[in-house]
Amino acid sequence: MDRRRIRVLLVEDEEINRVVARAVLRAAGVEADEAENGAEAVRRVRERVGAGAYDLILTDKQMPVMDGHEATRQIRAMGVTTPIVAVSSDSLPSDVQAFITAGADDFMPKPLTKEKLGCILSKFGLA
Amino acid sequence: MDYSNLRRQITFMKKSFFDQGYLDEQFHQLEELQDESSPNFVEEVVVLFLKDSPRLLSNIEQTIGKYPQDFYRLDSLVHQLKGSGSSIGAVRMKNECSVFKAHCNDRNLEGCRRSLQKMKREHATLKQKLESYFQLLRQVGPREHAVNSRN
Repeated sequence: MDRRRIRVLLVEDEEINRVVARAVLRAAGVEADEAENGAEAVRRVRERVGAGAYDLILTDKQMPVMDGHEATRQIRAMGVTTPIVAVSSDSLPSDVQAFITAGADDFMPKPLTKEKLGCILSKFGLA
Repeated sequence: MDYSNLRRQITFMKKSFFDQGYLDEQFHQLEELQDESSPNFVEEVVVLFLKDSPRLLSNIEQTIGKYPQDFYRLDSLVHQLKGSGSSIGAVRMKNECSVFKAHCNDRNLEGCRRSLQKMKREHATLKQKLESYFQLLRQVGPREHAVNSRN
């Protein structure tokens, strides 16, 4: 797959984390849309159901309006099978399990780096 | 100060950040993301951290002073601070945030208070060091910003 066509949805409320993740994604040559909370993420995913679905969703846990767990649950409830990777500062086993239970495919501790993104893209056949 | 002395001072200063445990590998990661299209990327991220962190520390202090204690809110605030600090590789701040979160989990208000004081001290030191570092970098010019990586 041409990496430049890979489209990622980055779900993150804190500006500093978005700035860093945006730079990592740009360096990897992927296109990225951004959502600042889980509700906006669900809306963006719903808009793309059927055609032009995201190849990957990267989501924070703690966000206003709707957190990453609930957003993941709602995205899965729509029948969307896009890989969802949680990227969060909280990386206790219980935090990881909560995301997996909600329907996420993997978990990565913050911050996002080129190496971590590379692993994610490889894991889901997007590299 | 001449250019070569400036460069030496910058190199020494940055090395000290790592040797003394103020910054970790994440800072190098930011430098690797800096290029000619975003020559001030590292400083921009650090500026965001230095903008966010005083507000968060202040909010944490105010919340600690409230009664009844709101450990949920304290945990949420320090979670934000931890994430922000992690973005620039501020390892001492990040570690103290983890200590703080553990105190929140134990509902240990006195522990939270002690941890907050440590965070404030670490933050003040880090702020001073980073501001001095970028002030020196600006003296050597934008070209140096773009290529200053892992030196």
